[in-house]
Amino acid sequence: MTWLLQLYPARWRERYGEEFRTVLARQRVSVGLVFDVLAGAIDAHLHPQIPHSSSNQFRGEDTMTLEMLKRCATGGPKLSPSERRIAFRLSILSALMIAVLYIVLTKIYREAPAVYAVYWTSIFFPNFIYQQTVYLKKRLWLTQTIVLGAGLSAMYLFMLAVCVVGGK
Amino acid sequence: MSRETKDNAELAEFGRFSEPALLILVSLAEGPRHGYSMTEDIEAVADVRLGPGTLYGALARLEARGLIEPLKSEDRRNPYRLTALGERALRSRLDSMMAVARTGQRRLAHT
Repeated sequence: MTWLLQLYPARWRERYGEEFRTVLARQRVSVGLVFDVLAGAIDAHLHPQIPHSSSNQFRGEDTMTLEMLKRCATGGPKLSPSERRIAFRLSILSALMIAVLYIVLTKIYREAPAVYAVYWTSIFFPNFIYQQTVYLKKRLWLTQTIVLGAGLSAMYLFMLAVCVVGGK
Repeated sequence: MSRETKDNAELAEFGRFSEPALLILVSLAEGPRHGYSMTEDIEAVADVRLGPGTLYGALARLEARGLIEPLKSEDRRNPYRLTALGERALRSRLDSMMAVARTGQRRLAHT
């Protein structure tokens, strides 16, 4: 069970590791205990408590772990305000575009499965555009076009298959 | 904010760790203890078994805010003791709880 201690930040282990190991070794193993230790590890990463006397001794490893967790918590790579604005505008624009496309297609083809597939794709479309814009921001335009095109095509084809099969 | 209110607020800011932190302070009010001794004492006093994750989450918070401090030890299992600030925070919290308990009991007596 003491291997669970490895889940805690290095600085934390250095400070409390020995004591923690002693307390842990004397506890009866249970699901509740494992949960408690896991929750403690998450808390130690998210809310590192630095004693007054050693606040300047935080090491790089902890900072890195925190940085990774922050990235996960905020949903991706760091974006400047202008990049965030561009990504947001692109997703709004894409939502409007696909809405117009859906209306036009409905007028022309009525209830065809291909039109329904556009409808279902439109639900994920703006978010897909946003995420791709964020993650591909430093890639070549060609790369961005290929990845976006392939992703959207795959999504549309999947929705089309669902609509065709579901319509039978 | 008065000093008493401020001392009382120290523990309230601990979120889910506020109750374990209070139990730890109560345990240390009797004298310095190390982690395992605290869990044993807390279980005997309050019938609550603190898991190590919760215990050290609360201990780290208490230490970071200067409410407790570690004592030097040869076997690296540092015992902890209350600081003056910790003692004030504990007194303030207990006074506040006793006031609530007295009010509750008085109201129950009238029902």
